Amino acid sequence: MVGNPIPAILIFYPMFAAVAVYLIGRDNKKIRDYIVQLVGVTEFLAFVIVAVCFQETGGLSFAWNGFAGLGMHVTLDGFRVLYGLIAALMWMMTALFSGEYFAHYRNRNRYYFFYLMTLGATVGVFLSSDLYTTFLFFEIMSFTSYVWVAHDEKPESLRAAATYLAVAVIGGLVMLMGLFLLYRTVGTLDMASLYEVCAACEDKRMLYAAGICLLFGFGAKAGAFPLHIWLPKAHPVAPAPASALLSGILTKSGIFGILVVSCNVFSRNATWGALILTLGVITMVAGAVLALLSVDLKRTLACSSMSQIGFILVGVGMLCILNGGGNGVLHAEIAARGTLLHMVNHSLIKLVLFMAAGVVFMNVHKLNLNDIRGFGRKKPLLHLAFLSGALGIAGVPLFNGYISKTLLHESIVMAKELALHAPVANWVGAAFPFGYEWNAFARFVTSPRVLEIVEWLFLISGGLTAAYMLKLYICLFWEKNKDAEEQARFDGMKAYMNKKSAFAIVGSAVLLPVMGLFPYLITDRIGVFGENILHVETACETVSYFGLESLKGGLISLAIGIVLYFGVVRTFLMKDEKSGEQLYINRLPKWFDLENGVYRPVLLKGIPAVLGFLCRILDTLTDGILIVLRKTIFRESPIPHEREQGTIFTDMAGSVGDFFHRLLNRTIRRKHPKTLARSYRQVIALKREEFRENNVLIARSLSFGLLLFCAGFLFTVIYLLFRA
Amino acid sequence: MSNLLLPILFPIAAGIAILALPKKVFAFGRSGGERRGLCIITGGFFVVTALLMVMALLTTTPKDMPQIAFFLTRKLPIQFGFDALGRVFAVMISAVMLLAGCFSFVYMKHEHREKRYYGFYLIVYGMLNGLCFADNLVTFYLFYELMTITSMPLVLHTQTKEAILAGLKYLFYSFCGAYMVLFGLFCLSRFCLSNTLTFGAGGILDAALVEGHETLVLVTAFLMILGFSVKAGMFPLHAWLTKAHPAAPAPVSAVLSGIVVKAGVLGVIRVVYYLFGTQFLAGTWVQYTWLVLSLITILMGSMMAYLEKGLKKRLAYSTISQASYILFGLALMQQTAFTGAVLHTVFHAFIKTALFLAAGAVIYQTGKKNVSELSGIGKEMPIVMWCYTIASLGLIGIPPASGFISKWYLALGSLDFGVRAFAYTGVIVLLVSALLTAGYLLPITIRGFFVGEDYDYQALKKKEPSKLMTIPLILLAAVTLLLGMFPNGLISYIGDIAAAIMR
Repeated sequence: MVGNPIPAILIFYPMFAAVAVYLIGRDNKKIRDYIVQLVGVTEFLAFVIVAVCFQETGGLSFAWNGFAGLGMHVTLDGFRVLYGLIAALMWMMTALFSGEYFAHYRNRNRYYFFYLMTLGATVGVFLSSDLYTTFLFFEIMSFTSYVWVAHDEKPESLRAAATYLAVAVIGGLVMLMGLFLLYRTVGTLDMASLYEVCAACEDKRMLYAAGICLLFGFGAKAGAFPLHIWLPKAHPVAPAPASALLSGILTKSGIFGILVVSCNVFSRNATWGALILTLGVITMVAGAVLALLSVDLKRTLACSSMSQIGFILVGVGMLCILNGGGNGVLHAEIAARGTLLHMVNHSLIKLVLFMAAGVVFMNVHKLNLNDIRGFGRKKPLLHLAFLSGALGIAGVPLFNGYISKTLLHESIVMAKELALHAPVANWVGAAFPFGYEWNAFARFVTSPRVLEIVEWLFLISGGLTAAYMLKLYICLFWEKNKDAEEQARFDGMKAYMNKKSAFAIVGSAVLLPVMGLFPYLITDRIGVFGENILHVETACETVSYFGLESLKGGLISLAIGIVLYFGVVRTFLMKDEKSGEQLYINRLPKWFDLENGVYRPVLLKGIPAVLGFLCRILDTLTDGILIVLRKTIFRESPIPHEREQGTIFTDMAGSVGDFFHRLLNRTIRRKHPKTLARSYRQVIALKREEFRENNVLIARSLSFGLLLFCAGFLFTVIYLLFRA
Repeated sequence: MSNLLLPILFPIAAGIAILALPKKVFAFGRSGGERRGLCIITGGFFVVTALLMVMALLTTTPKDMPQIAFFLTRKLPIQFGFDALGRVFAVMISAVMLLAGCFSFVYMKHEHREKRYYGFYLIVYGMLNGLCFADNLVTFYLFYELMTITSMPLVLHTQTKEAILAGLKYLFYSFCGAYMVLFGLFCLSRFCLSNTLTFGAGGILDAALVEGHETLVLVTAFLMILGFSVKAGMFPLHAWLTKAHPAAPAPVSAVLSGIVVKAGVLGVIRVVYYLFGTQFLAGTWVQYTWLVLSLITILMGSMMAYLEKGLKKRLAYSTISQASYILFGLALMQQTAFTGAVLHTVFHAFIKTALFLAAGAVIYQTGKKNVSELSGIGKEMPIVMWCYTIASLGLIGIPPASGFISKWYLALGSLDFGVRAFAYTGVIVLLVSALLTAGYLLPITIRGFFVGEDYDYQALKKKEPSKLMTIPLILLAAVTLLLGMFPNGLISYIGDIAAAIMR
């Protein structure tokens, strides 16, 4: 163990606390809850202290050589501190919120144990400084967070949890494949040295194979298309604090991995950038459309998470494309900062929104928009918190989401302009390392026209975001429930959350406008703080966030959003009831489900059926041949079943036995005579038959063995003859 | 001399004594105390054997000259040595035998004829120790055959018709393999540097003698590999495993899977790396055929386990698959892969023992034998199922549990293999099989702990077994985790062996 142990302490402290909490929780639930919250708070404070005090020293590193083979390497510097801090903040807030939310749940001890274990593992992922350590904690995190998703133990939660686990396991194994390939190609997994080693590596083909495997693994956790399937399933059924963490921070661990791969293994590679950009655009648009169509509060938020991950991936893609060469490098930092800030913003916003959804659920125990309609009326605290989250994520100026979206938009515009002035092949030419086809793909994606389309898709997705948030907001806080009694019950709920929960929600919500109001003072600084792992070289030119150009993009999005809300949501997605009320309806056809339509049938039915059939043949091959032999060459007569009477010997022996039995009954046991269920003649006859059958079996098998021996002997003899 | 002979002879003698003495002796005059006395005495014998093994470990070094016990023919000696590889196996065998033995003190309460069980158990223990010490092929073959025969009464212990058939199947598959080895034994002696067939690191073939007879020697090598692989359950001679495991009592299944299968692995290592040598075999059709067979077995075993409904049979298929991971690593004939293979041998021994003992505990306490009946088992027996889960994670290869480490080395070794098609297919098969492993092990845990919201908690009765059952399980689970977290000592020890036999 070398270096400063602080990073390791930050990782293992929650894990040990988890064990302690579990043991305490068996006796005293109240103390247990306090301790969980205390752990969350202390972890957060520790990160704050680290962020404030140790930034000057250039990062604290800790290496535990030989731990689990290649060793554990963790570091505390810029990005890692930032994301550790955010993780700790989110855990602290959800811990405060959990107390009330889980008050009537079973198996809370189990939940809290895995809750803290996951905190340690997640911090481990973010602090890791080599990919081996990342993988180590990543797998722990996947398995411990499974328990959250399955916590309700309803059939649908178990099903969603199984999907989650399957995606995690498959993703983990593919990622492992990527690690094998990468390690074998470049001989190291240390993030700091990967950058140079990979730049010098000749075998680009291998690097691509490794990179795509890693992208698959990390992308599965991030929720990128087409591995997003777990997101919309897991979030609605998981407890709300768990949803907040899954969506806010666990997906970001996947993004962290993608960032590490993109910025170290594929730095200055526009082809890779084009690939990520494509994935990002698909994820972004698909997520937003799914969110708009959904009629379930948490499902909408989950699809929204998917969409926002798409925004982040667009940023990563633009970062790689701009970093590809030529003048693009000068502007790469815009994309870098946009990506980073959108990660941070999305984490914080989803924390607020999911906790707000949690408040709804713990009071109403329903999530369908028609059932919870009007819940938020006359609840100003919840109203304000939800509103700030909604405005943040919709990218309304003066809120935090606006800042990061503006930066991302700016990066696309930059790339488009660069591409207009000089053919893309020229300024990213040096970065095309690999085959003509890939070249063509990258050239296509980075052509001005396609980038223009990307820009519009970006703005439209922003509009969709605004539209579905508006749908939720109006449904929850302005409309009245169709059932007047229900509405009266909602309005009567004064104590809908306790002080701790209120603190958690409002405390988190306040951050959003603060970050949006002071972009230069706070937000940009966060960006600078975290950019160290992204390998961008030039400093960012200052973007005037509230200038006309920047506002234009945001306002176009909002305009699209409002048009969509009134044009689509209020018409196409709502239906008039007879009573004159309008209901939200699910226009999504049931078969339109990648998981149930494709993955499950193929993976659970198709492949096992085919492969299983082949394997069954192989499995019974030898035995089958033996059976054929025994039916043909070594034909055996069936074991003859004799009558129960037995032979003359068993008869005689049995008679003697019976005689003595009778004799004894008459003499010694006269007072307590013993009766027999069967006479000795029958018993002995049965014994004899059993014995004989076993003997026949053994004899036959022995003769078979002897035959094999003879075969071997014959081989030897033939060989000897042959030699002579 | 005696330091090596004692760990072999003492348990054998003890076992024979138990078999020979009448049952009454173990009661020590107390009525109905036979069981207790028998367990205490057997336990004592276990401890003494283990101590003798520790003595043997301490008083010898891997570099000692072989000790000749006596001559079988004028030239063929029965000789013993204790090299580094033997040490790894010896420690593993003693650990598993002791823990499974401890477990059976409770488990065998259900069965009859315990005296016979413990007697043969001790004899097999002695034979296995003999396998580790065997320094030439003849000695190895002798103990190998004796082990097969003496372990048969353990397999057919319950004496149901199914068990008897399973025992016979076990016997004859093993014999079938042994004959192939015997054939090799006859042929090989003419081509070696010395006539004694003494194991030598890196092979003992005499190139001058082999000249002109390459095909014959290759066929010999193939038959011997195939012969020893019967015990390791390699396709096409794997069928005995899935019959013997479900029929035998759970501790015996654990020993079969954990140790007896590994005896086959040890045989393969001795043949390939200590008799023929990798220089002779690498790049030949023998190696390629072996690779193909092992890869087929890995996939077949996992897939069949995934489809299987009976718990113990599922674990038996899993053993087929996992043992072929080891054989695949050995077939690559390359240092990293060899390290991975031997690591996997050790890890799998502990993990599979834990899994079978957990299955045994479930069967003992509830009588449930099918996977579908195990809903809620985690609530009833949390400790057992926690150990089961940790062992499962190890077998799937989830870090930091131990199976991950061995698979890491196996995969890296595979990627270094010269024939690229094998290199990539190998890794992909390993990973697909790992996925299937998750698919057949984890649902039991999940259904065991996540019982559904309508579960009747009032009717829940704790069925945790007694300490003699849980402590071996906890130890095995702890070893699974600890070896995964701190594997470096073991890795470098095995790495040295690999370096010595593949210069």
